[in-house]
Amino acid sequence: MKKLLITLGVLIILTIVTAIISSANESFTVVAILILAVLKFIGVSFYFMEMKKAHVFWKASVLIFLLLFTTIILLQF
Amino acid sequence: MKSDTISYKNIYYPPGGILLWIIIFLELFTFGIALIAMVYSSKEAPELFHESRLYLNSTIGVVNTFFLIVSGFFMAVSVHNLKQQKLDKTKLFLKLTMLGGLLFLALKGYEYFDKIDAGFNIGYNTFFKYYWMLTLFHVVHVIVGLVILASVYFGLSKTNSTTKLEDVEASAAFWHMCDLIWLLLFPIIYLLF
Repeated sequence: MKKLLITLGVLIILTIVTAIISSANESFTVVAILILAVLKFIGVSFYFMEMKKAHVFWKASVLIFLLLFTTIILLQF
Repeated sequence: MKSDTISYKNIYYPPGGILLWIIIFLELFTFGIALIAMVYSSKEAPELFHESRLYLNSTIGVVNTFFLIVSGFFMAVSVHNLKQQKLDKTKLFLKLTMLGGLLFLALKGYEYFDKIDAGFNIGYNTFFKYYWMLTLFHVVHVIVGLVILASVYFGLSKTNSTTKLEDVEASAAFWHMCDLIWLLLFPIIYLLF
């Protein structure tokens, strides 16, 4: 329960940081927004969905999907 | 309520069940490919995508992210309570989860009404074609998720409930999937271009 509350707090903070960063028109904005999205994705999948307790195959599958997705998106920007 | 001991360390039993995780990955790849196609299309008309993106209200996107994250938290707490055989708390947090989903849909409905009113419909330009297809497809998932959660709620409310912990975990995994998809859609559609 405590871990769920901490995860919720972190996810809300990351969402607020995303909103603040998006208003800055800097070169790092795209990378920063995507990294924050990946962190939120990991927070939800590993803690809310309890993937942290799952077999390494499922953990690796989630991380490989995220790596592939963000790499392809970043290569196009 | 029936409950069995599930070992998540078994490769065939990820939290929510293997079938649901196959669906989750199929959905993530579908939305992922569509988002990649959107970013690829934006290279042909970057100014059009940038200008169109500015018509979207990112504050609504942030608030909707907040609704889904908090709703996901309530869902996780609901499953946590069910594992401890606290049925009343499970049902309470299940209702709060559904409230989060309904608030998301209400705000999305307001956003859609605003866009249609301003003339930004699906045929307006390429950006809005992607915007409508991706966000509407996601909304359909949220509606399906709410129907599943409602059926689980009523299943748990029966006096001789046959709803298993695995059923609740599977519906929770579907609900979190809606959250995961939104976490990919929101930054790309509302913020990146």
